[in-house]
Amino acid sequence: MKNKILMGLAAIVMVAVLASCGKKPQVQIDATNAAITAAKTAEADVYLPAEFAALQDSMKAIDAAITAKEGKMFKNFKAEVAKLESLNTLAGNVTNNVVAKKDEVKKGAETILNDIKAVVAENAKLVTKLPRGKEGAAIIEQFKADLGNVDAAVADAQASFDKGTYMDALNKIKAAKEKADSLNSEMKAALTKAKIRF
Amino acid sequence: MGKTWKHIAILSAIAVFLTLIGFPLFYPVPSPPVNEVKYALTALSLAEKNESETFSGELYTEAKAYYDSAIISWQKENKKSRYSRDYNKVVMFAGLSAQKANQASENSRNSSSNLDVKIRQKLNSLNNLVTDLTEMFSDYPLTQEIRNHISKGKFLLIESELAYKENQYKLADEKLQESENLLTSSYEKAFSNIRNYFRSYPEWKRLIDSTITVSKETRDYSIIVDKYSRKVFVYLDGEKIDEYSAELGKNWVGDKRVRGDKATPEGMYKITKKFESDSTKYYKALLLDYPNNEDTANFEAAVAKGTLPKSAKIGEMIEIHGNGGKGADWTSGCIALTDREMDSIFKIAKIGTTVTIVGSMNDLKRVLNR
Repeated sequence: MKNKILMGLAAIVMVAVLASCGKKPQVQIDATNAAITAAKTAEADVYLPAEFAALQDSMKAIDAAITAKEGKMFKNFKAEVAKLESLNTLAGNVTNNVVAKKDEVKKGAETILNDIKAVVAENAKLVTKLPRGKEGAAIIEQFKADLGNVDAAVADAQASFDKGTYMDALNKIKAAKEKADSLNSEMKAALTKAKIRF
Repeated sequence: MGKTWKHIAILSAIAVFLTLIGFPLFYPVPSPPVNEVKYALTALSLAEKNESETFSGELYTEAKAYYDSAIISWQKENKKSRYSRDYNKVVMFAGLSAQKANQASENSRNSSSNLDVKIRQKLNSLNNLVTDLTEMFSDYPLTQEIRNHISKGKFLLIESELAYKENQYKLADEKLQESENLLTSSYEKAFSNIRNYFRSYPEWKRLIDSTITVSKETRDYSIIVDKYSRKVFVYLDGEKIDEYSAELGKNWVGDKRVRGDKATPEGMYKITKKFESDSTKYYKALLLDYPNNEDTANFEAAVAKGTLPKSAKIGEMIEIHGNGGKGADWTSGCIALTDREMDSIFKIAKIGTTVTIVGSMNDLKRVLNR
């Protein structure tokens, strides 16, 4: 009889333990949020926007799952803890990948910035050789204005590059390169037509 | 007996105890709105993927706020006893969040699709405008400001095309807007400038007709200079018999107003002197009677009106001369021909030969091929 009573009491204790054992995994939540913030600080939202959005989505989903579990009598956050740990690792990977992506964008911008220097220098020489002719003077004026704008765009892109905003620099320099290339082709076509060596 | 009652008492105690324990365990409690919140979160995520923040910002912000309210309400309910929880508010907020997020997604898809069409159309029309500007004003002296605006407009057009190719519709649209402003304002200014200049066409036409008539009546040579096409035409007996390419003063648009303005005058003139090679530094030259009485009267009126300063001096020594063929408008207002063409015109020109200088022999519509 005594044993039965003791068993009953043990069962009660177990219920009480089960009901109160699952505490909100605040440490893991804070760590994962910190990892996501670190990814943002590394500019994941600029260089890897889709991956960063996925991190935020996952965190929101885990938050909702935790809130759902918090309302239960028997709380068990094991699954959420595992998800938080996995998301934390993923956020770390995204942060590392941002560094690689940023470096790739930086190199891309750097390459075009270097390439465009040669085109800009060649364009400056070509414009002086253009045939003046009846229409020449006005066309040369337009070419000069266009070249001036390319120069300004290159300077702007270089300033963005120097500031470390590589994505912005890449976008700016791409447009400048396209314009510089098209001016180069137009001037070469005009010189070829006029049988002027360049 | 006593033992039996004792057992009954123990069993009853256990039953009561189990009932007390079991009641809270098995008493029906409201289910948390897991699915509703999950659905709202999925809708929000989709809205974000559809760039709702860009295309449907207000709805997207509302959707996010409702979702946050749902979570906060849920957390509040969780703090209450599980038997007194009411998730109606959570369900309502989650529902509103999902509804707004779905609307935002739908709007974004529509806006994005509309913007795609709008951008493609605008890119087309602006590229056509650039072609028009190039064709119409390639040989027309536009101001540095207009040239610069055209250039910036073309540059922004390229930036817009690049953004469009990368599906950054909003950015592409912004760049297009800037480009359109610069290009259309440049076109309007350039067109207004050339249209104003060609307002003198009826007068030019009158001068051209008079010159051809003089040539016909005197059965002699007359010369017409067309500044817009940079051509010099020679007429004999009212018929055009020759034409040469000419170079003018840098500021050839408009009449000459003052000495040193590098403009070529417009009007009907006579040759007053012929300079052989030993009398001019420009190979050979035909001096015109500029300023004639009309030019002098116009100049004096401008000074009297104050549109020219009192210190201004009227121009002189306007000639048709050699040393041309430089391929630019380089004279101080004279008309330069190549030496070979100068030889030809020098032979037929006499003192008194009519030389009429006009802006254009054709009207604006014909000049612009429109």
